[in-house]
Amino acid sequence: MTEPVLRTDGLTKRFGGLVAVDDVNIAFESGRVHAIIGPNGAGKTTLFNIISGLQAPDAGRVFFAGQDITGLKPHQISRRGIKRTMQIKSVFPNLSVADNLWITAKAGQGFLHPFRSAASFADIQEKVDGLLEQIGLTGVAGQIAGTLAYGDMALLEIGMALVSSPKLLLLDEPICGMSPVETENTVEKIRALAKQVDIVIIEHDMEVVFGLADDITVMAQGGVLASGTPKEIGADERVREAYLGRPEDDAFDEDEAHA
Amino acid sequence: MTRTAVDRGMFAAFAVLMLAVPWIVPELLGAFWVSVIAEILIWSLLAASVNLLFGYVGLLSFGQALYFGFGMYGVGIGIAHLGLSFWPAFGLGIVASMAMALVAGIFAVRLTWHYFAIITVVFSLIFYFLFLTIKPVTGGDDGINFTLPPTFRFGSTEIGLADSTFQYFFILFFVAACFWLMHRVIRSPLGKALMAIRDNDVRASLIGLNIYLLRLVAFVMAGFLAGVSGALFALFGRYSSASYMFYHVSGEAVVWAIVGGTGTLFGPFVGTGIFILVREVISTQWHHHLLIVGVIAILIVMFAPRGFVGLWHNLMDRLFSPRGSP
Amino acid sequence: MEILLLLAMNGLIWGLIIALIALGLSVIFGLLDIINIAHGDFFMVGTMVAWATVEASGNFWLAFLAAPLIGFVLGALIQRIVIQPIRNAAALSIVATFGLSMIMQETARLTFGAIPKRLLPPIQQTLTVFGLEYEVYRLFAAALAIAALAGFFLYLHRTKIGTWMRAVRHDRDTAIAMGIPAEKVYVLTFAIGFALAAFGGAVAAPITTVDFRGGVDILPVCFMAVIIGGLGNLPGTAAAAVLLAFMEGVIQSFADPTVARIASLVLMSAVLLIRPQGLFKGFAR
Repeated sequence: MTEPVLRTDGLTKRFGGLVAVDDVNIAFESGRVHAIIGPNGAGKTTLFNIISGLQAPDAGRVFFAGQDITGLKPHQISRRGIKRTMQIKSVFPNLSVADNLWITAKAGQGFLHPFRSAASFADIQEKVDGLLEQIGLTGVAGQIAGTLAYGDMALLEIGMALVSSPKLLLLDEPICGMSPVETENTVEKIRALAKQVDIVIIEHDMEVVFGLADDITVMAQGGVLASGTPKEIGADERVREAYLGRPEDDAFDEDEAHA
Repeated sequence: MTRTAVDRGMFAAFAVLMLAVPWIVPELLGAFWVSVIAEILIWSLLAASVNLLFGYVGLLSFGQALYFGFGMYGVGIGIAHLGLSFWPAFGLGIVASMAMALVAGIFAVRLTWHYFAIITVVFSLIFYFLFLTIKPVTGGDDGINFTLPPTFRFGSTEIGLADSTFQYFFILFFVAACFWLMHRVIRSPLGKALMAIRDNDVRASLIGLNIYLLRLVAFVMAGFLAGVSGALFALFGRYSSASYMFYHVSGEAVVWAIVGGTGTLFGPFVGTGIFILVREVISTQWHHHLLIVGVIAILIVMFAPRGFVGLWHNLMDRLFSPRGSP
Repeated sequence: MEILLLLAMNGLIWGLIIALIALGLSVIFGLLDIINIAHGDFFMVGTMVAWATVEASGNFWLAFLAAPLIGFVLGALIQRIVIQPIRNAAALSIVATFGLSMIMQETARLTFGAIPKRLLPPIQQTLTVFGLEYEVYRLFAAALAIAALAGFFLYLHRTKIGTWMRAVRHDRDTAIAMGIPAEKVYVLTFAIGFALAAFGGAVAAPITTVDFRGGVDILPVCFMAVIIGGLGNLPGTAAAAVLLAFMEGVIQSFADPTVARIASLVLMSAVLLIRPQGLFKGFAR
């Protein structure tokens, strides 16, 4: 078996008395879309925080394509090709949409020229223009990002994650707060993306998860409850109890019918 | 008539005015006011150093007077005690202020903004008291006076700041050069990176920016600006005094920067100009001009936090984009 | 040797007064997130009110009442009119307090003049301590300061409003969710902060000079106490204030006071960089 693109080994994180991430072992293969689901407070975002370097684990290690990235600073991890979006939309509110993409594209390149005009970097400009097309935000390129509609901001975030040529994309609830149309739009984009980039997605919307993911990992109370294909997860009793066992959650049954 | 045309036109008019000062001002107002304008130019660099850190990086430094002081004393001590000639002394001032900014920044830039603001004051106070005590070197609060060596020497001809027109253009040149450098930086990749850090430092680190290093670079650049300001001040006044390192000076620079408009290129100049003019115009009649400074500071913070240049931008936005925000 | 003991006692007593003022600064910083540059001037206002009251009425006890009262009212007014509207721009509030500081200093200078004034203490006797004359008033001042400190901590822990203050400081959102009127608490906090500093000013007035620049010297010491004691750690701040003043008092006997000041500042830098939660961990709540 080839080295998984993302692997953690006994990852643990405590906040005072609370164990947010409890001895988590995951191994995600390249080329498959992975989803992490679980009730609120299950530790999913904390896991992302540790992987992206925003928080240091109390125990355990994180491996990216075989390299140990535990304890590296966020910008170092980012430069290795792991990009992520945040649960609460997080862009650069006072910069224009185009500038948001521009600086994201440039940031990974290392040296930041202090005197040369940014507009003179044709290669970056091309990339930005191309990406604006791809995510459909060409019309608002000059608008200040903080004034964007929510859906557009979420798209911008995904755009920012893309423009820097990521190897691994961590998406934290990307469709949270979107309208049905926006959701469909975004899911399409993610599906297209998945052909070029490895993606791990945290999501609550079961339709989206079961439609997108090749593998699902279920977390609860900091630990991994179960992992497997959507079918396996759907059939798993423990998962049903902990998470899916609610009458209003018809999404799973629908998928069963389609499968 | 596009907005860019208006901006360019205004800048051209401004430039022409500034260049014509040594000839039109003495006619209209008296030679004294040429010195006032020179002072505004010098101090606007200190406000600019505050503005660079606060407006573009999101760091509020209340201790820029420290680097001003190093620039000032680099020149003062260089000429008075080390017998340096003009340019080495000027250079010493600038290098000393940047070095101090680097040392202080290595520690300060690690802190979150509250503690950052406090430690910038603490550092400046430490050196203020230090410079007060080493009176033989610094002259303490009284300061040291010195005569200026000539700026240029061609054979037997000397040109120096003793000539007030030359002095004015000397100051104008260096201040303009610094503002031009700032203008370049703001539009550069480095500038955009700093603004990204200002807007959202977590996101900035996630896209691959080394926040600590970039903040440190900005801090040294701000130290450079403050240092040039101090060096020019010493050259202009032939004088260096520890009293200009007290936190009040730093605080006033912050007020000037904010009243002028943070995050704008000309804000520092406008803010400094307003306050120095207020001081000069009022203090002859009334000794309590600081009262007005305080009132303006509070009014701006409450009602026009983007400062005068910010107000100007709002006006321009309204005139040139009547649709309003989309 | 006697001089040393005397200076040490002076330092201790001065420290108790500074503790009062620093506590005011600490609650403002801790609850309102404001770095209050004008806090030293709140102290100065206290000295001025004391002087004016004594000039007008000859009664010192009135001064001890008037100073905190006026401080309280002024503090409440300032919070409502200036601070409240700009609460969202925390960095700008520093500029506002700096502007306030200038306004207060110049107003004091306008009203009372630029020449420092001496205020004679209500108790003029001296005691013989260690063979030297020691002003009884200083001991009395210490007693007043201790009483005020005790009163403040009692208020914080035994009254409903005091508990509200502690709740909002601890976790603002939960406090609001529990129905605590946060806005009123903020006004109260600022008012109390001013009142504490003003009372400290009234108590200190006979020991120091009444001068429109009196706040400038006090400010750094107060900040040092707050930082070294630990932000949010009120007993720690009080302890740090006493310790710092005591140390400076002792060092003064054999070295330049400026050196003492520099030493305290260096200590403060070290705390900020290495242990920003302050040195007195044991007291932290």
